[in-house]
Amino acid sequence: MRIGIVCPYSFDVPGGVQNHIVDLAEALIGLGHEVSVLAPADDDSPLPSYVVPAGRSVPFPYNGSVARITFGPVSTARVRRWLARGQFDVLHVHEPFVLSLSLLAVLSARGPVVATFHTAMTRSRALAVAQGMLQLVLERITARIAVSALARKLQVEHLDGGAVEIPNGVAVAKFANAEPLPGWPGRSGPGQGGTLGFLGRFTETRKGFGVLRDAFVALAPERPGLRLLVAGPGDLDDLYEGVPPGLRDRITFLGRVSEEDKARMLRSVDLYVAPNIGGESFGMILTEAMAAGATVVASDLDAFRRVLDGGRAGEIFPTGDARALRNTLARLLDDPVRRAELSACAKEVVAAFDWPTVARRVLEVYATAIEATDGRVLDEEWIGPI
Amino acid sequence: MPGMWWVVGVVVAIVLVTTYLTWTAARVDRLHSRVESAARALDAHLLRRAAAAAVLAEERYAVELYAASRIALDAEGDEREAAENDLTRQLRITPLDPDDQVAGAVIGASRRLGLARQVHTDLVRDALSARRRPLVRLMRMSRKRERPRYFDIDDPTLDTRTGLSVS
Repeated sequence: MRIGIVCPYSFDVPGGVQNHIVDLAEALIGLGHEVSVLAPADDDSPLPSYVVPAGRSVPFPYNGSVARITFGPVSTARVRRWLARGQFDVLHVHEPFVLSLSLLAVLSARGPVVATFHTAMTRSRALAVAQGMLQLVLERITARIAVSALARKLQVEHLDGGAVEIPNGVAVAKFANAEPLPGWPGRSGPGQGGTLGFLGRFTETRKGFGVLRDAFVALAPERPGLRLLVAGPGDLDDLYEGVPPGLRDRITFLGRVSEEDKARMLRSVDLYVAPNIGGESFGMILTEAMAAGATVVASDLDAFRRVLDGGRAGEIFPTGDARALRNTLARLLDDPVRRAELSACAKEVVAAFDWPTVARRVLEVYATAIEATDGRVLDEEWIGPI
Repeated sequence: MPGMWWVVGVVVAIVLVTTYLTWTAARVDRLHSRVESAARALDAHLLRRAAAAAVLAEERYAVELYAASRIALDAEGDEREAAENDLTRQLRITPLDPDDQVAGAVIGASRRLGLARQVHTDLVRDALSARRRPLVRLMRMSRKRERPRYFDIDDPTLDTRTGLSVS
């Protein structure tokens, strides 16, 4: 089928929504569909062949950060031309409430429209004022997708409607086939060695890096050769805070990493630790670590429990408890059989998050939207088995 | 002539009001048409699931499941929601292996039904909220259209293997 996807944020700047759209578009193309993506981007910027640039974007302060968006009569004309030329069976917009291309596309659309909500937006005063306008946009959307339980909950509570929860996909093959960093994960044996990994903003309390640091500081003196690999934005000084100088050379800091290096980093660790204290809506990083074959040790949050299949696909420790984490790490590092068992199960679980599988679920929503628009019912064949 | 401007003003006002009324009427109409299409699709998916369940019941000689799917296929009007819920309950206690073709068809049909139900509910809500608008009520814009009804059934989705929920 012919699918038109609209991205509200510029492709000139990397971001989560942009990555999601590229992965989804490629998975759909891989399943044999025709896909065109409309996104704000300069006409001369290098883009994948299926992306149509909608012109230069402008910085726009939104929701506490700066997004690059496109709006106005010129953009409207471009959106309409793209829609007219595309003859799409279904239009899939992302973040339709952001003042950008998605909103314009929804208002110009005639056929079935599917909308994906990424952020868990809260009810703001601006939103309340614009309620009438929002209702107009909502009325043109046939089916809604939320990428996390939190985003879905806010849909239900604030926009008075349901949404199908389809999580972000993971490009499993990309992580499974990445080359580990040279010299990692290194040797480990009973009572010595082993590599722990952490990725994210270690300065943010809710990410729980402090818990991992305490566990590492407690375990490292007893376990020679134990190393910690950290990636994410932040300063070295903040990272080393509370770590005795003798142990600092056993922490390697990669700084902010590209998608490619993230995969290599996850392939370089024995145990990936997610010590988050709260506020994690889905736990994307867990699925990525699982795809890379690392054994996951995560705090006991609902979202993590769900991704780890209740503890079958990874070890769960009491949230915020550094002692418990230290004991779990020591036990797992000395038990390669248990690690292999968890990784094997993780591989099975993560297959459900692989992009082709996720894309088929999105295709089912497309089918439902098309059916709800003209009443005909589509056959299973073009979706394929899930 | 100062009187002319007054006339022009009235004409412009009439044109604006008429445009807004026509636009609103078209909007109400569109919302109702959409609910009708969604209801037809929902009906088709209900039949599809019941048929798939009947095939499974025949294969396994499951008497209760067969009865539930026949009742769901034949039910009409107010009885239909209860009949569909009975079928959902029967399917939930039936062991289903996703790799088996017949059972897989039931799981797939149930998931598609879950999506159709979700979309139908959202569209009914949109149409009903349009009908409640004071202007629409005052001008009786929805008088030619039947009042859309919710189809109130439990979430029929069976596949919980992946931990992805639909509701």
